[in-house]
Amino acid sequence: MTGIIKSEPFVINIGPQHPSTHGVFRIKATVDGEKVIDAEMVMGYLHRSMEKLAEERTYTQNIPFTDRTDYLSSMSNNLGYCLAVEKLAGIEVPPRGNAIRVIMAELQRLASHCMAIGAFANDTGAWQTPVMWAFREREKILDIFEVTSGARLTCNYMRIGGVAFDLRPEFEPMVRRILRDFPPFLDEMEGLLSGNEIFIARTRGVGVLTPEMATNASLSGPMLRGSGIAWDIRKADPYCGYEQYDFDIPIGYNGDSYDRFIVRLEEMRQSLKIIQQALDGLPGGPFRTEVPLALRPPKGEAYARIESPRGELGYYLVSDEGPSPYRFHIRPPSFINLSALKEMTVGGTVADAIVVLGSIDIVVGEIDR
Amino acid sequence: MTRELTGSEAAALAEALVPGSVDRTTETACYLKPDRLVETLRALRDDPDANLVHLTNLCGVDYWDHFEVVYHIQSFEKNHLACFKVEAWGRENPEVPSVTPVFHGAWMQECEAYDLFGIRFAGHPNLYRILLWEGYPGWPLRKDFLAMPGGLQPGLGEFAGVAPRQEPPVKVIE
Repeated sequence: MTGIIKSEPFVINIGPQHPSTHGVFRIKATVDGEKVIDAEMVMGYLHRSMEKLAEERTYTQNIPFTDRTDYLSSMSNNLGYCLAVEKLAGIEVPPRGNAIRVIMAELQRLASHCMAIGAFANDTGAWQTPVMWAFREREKILDIFEVTSGARLTCNYMRIGGVAFDLRPEFEPMVRRILRDFPPFLDEMEGLLSGNEIFIARTRGVGVLTPEMATNASLSGPMLRGSGIAWDIRKADPYCGYEQYDFDIPIGYNGDSYDRFIVRLEEMRQSLKIIQQALDGLPGGPFRTEVPLALRPPKGEAYARIESPRGELGYYLVSDEGPSPYRFHIRPPSFINLSALKEMTVGGTVADAIVVLGSIDIVVGEIDR
Repeated sequence: MTRELTGSEAAALAEALVPGSVDRTTETACYLKPDRLVETLRALRDDPDANLVHLTNLCGVDYWDHFEVVYHIQSFEKNHLACFKVEAWGRENPEVPSVTPVFHGAWMQECEAYDLFGIRFAGHPNLYRILLWEGYPGWPLRKDFLAMPGGLQPGLGEFAGVAPRQEPPVKVIE
């Protein structure tokens, strides 16, 4: 090369209709050649004003809305909201209710991470095979949800004070089958992807986040743990009796897309461990405390959070002693995990931007609410 | 368990680092003076005792006569969570200082509060309507949204801020 090829920067839109955006989300990327020099996020295509709607409905009526924010982990969203209302109104949940909630939340984490890993492999170019394998296993979990709550995606199963129904007799054998079949599937997935040369070349060193940057950008969940910060709300601030179960927090060291993938994969193994313990020690007794249908919590405010598959899911509720919340705010993990998107994509290529977006694991229903 | 600091505990931390920064306290929250907000949060972030490094949640609340911006900030090492608030008076042009110089994670959440409440964050590098489009009439999460000039016209009956709230048809079970 004797001279330098001059190029003009220009803007390309990744999305809103693009398979890698996992919904309707747009990155306005300014590129110079193949290099991204600026990235701007455009969102709001799925905005349904849930926070406003919730101010006009009773506390119980709001539970189905929370399904529709993060539609890939509806159980976790139900749980976060119910915990916030219980904190506000001072309601205790019986031990059986708590154990069922833990099993459901962990099954939901398995299902959600299956989707995340499968779609991430799709984004890196492992076309269709991993995503189909992941979907095959996810279907079995959704079958369990269908047997228990009657719905596969928008379960609407948690209630204020417990869960909606008791477990059916088919439930336990179905979960035992998952516990038996899942570890071989994870080994298979790991053998397919984590040692794969192309996969490593596409993900290693892409979208690197230092721990300082991850903390300062308010990230949570696998994004934070991938950067080496061992922060899991299930350990740090246990809810629903998570302190009784023995599990570990997997962390990454390099903070790149590959580490976030490995963290998710390892988290699934830990989830299986939790489900095993919860199922073995499932207590008897009532699964729900009776709560008035038109609940009027005392005046005040409460912020409750859980570790959803994507990170810290928080609900901030303000009560004015009315039958509906005065203020209903969701702290959505996918939305806030996008804070560092620009820092991660600028300097890389357009193909790397797709990988970074896949490694964040966004759900657009939750970003826009 | 994460220790949730009471208002007075959070106020003691803030007052020790930046004297005169606390306005008042309640049981759960500590109200900071808007003009000392950025300075105080930066001191709390950098101080090893307070160590409030992770801005978890930022949101606005409309109380008719004033707006509140709520900050939930936590520490990983100390495992505690503090709730700070600032007030913005006036409905025409409420304004609080932006904390983006201290916490990068506030960037998007402040855009959201601006979009839905119309609270301006002074010093924010790029405050725009993140969920709705530019030129959208009114600020949707305000309690008087439907009565705003240029806002959407109510067509579904009674709304908060227009008429007294109706009781739901369900009776409270005692």
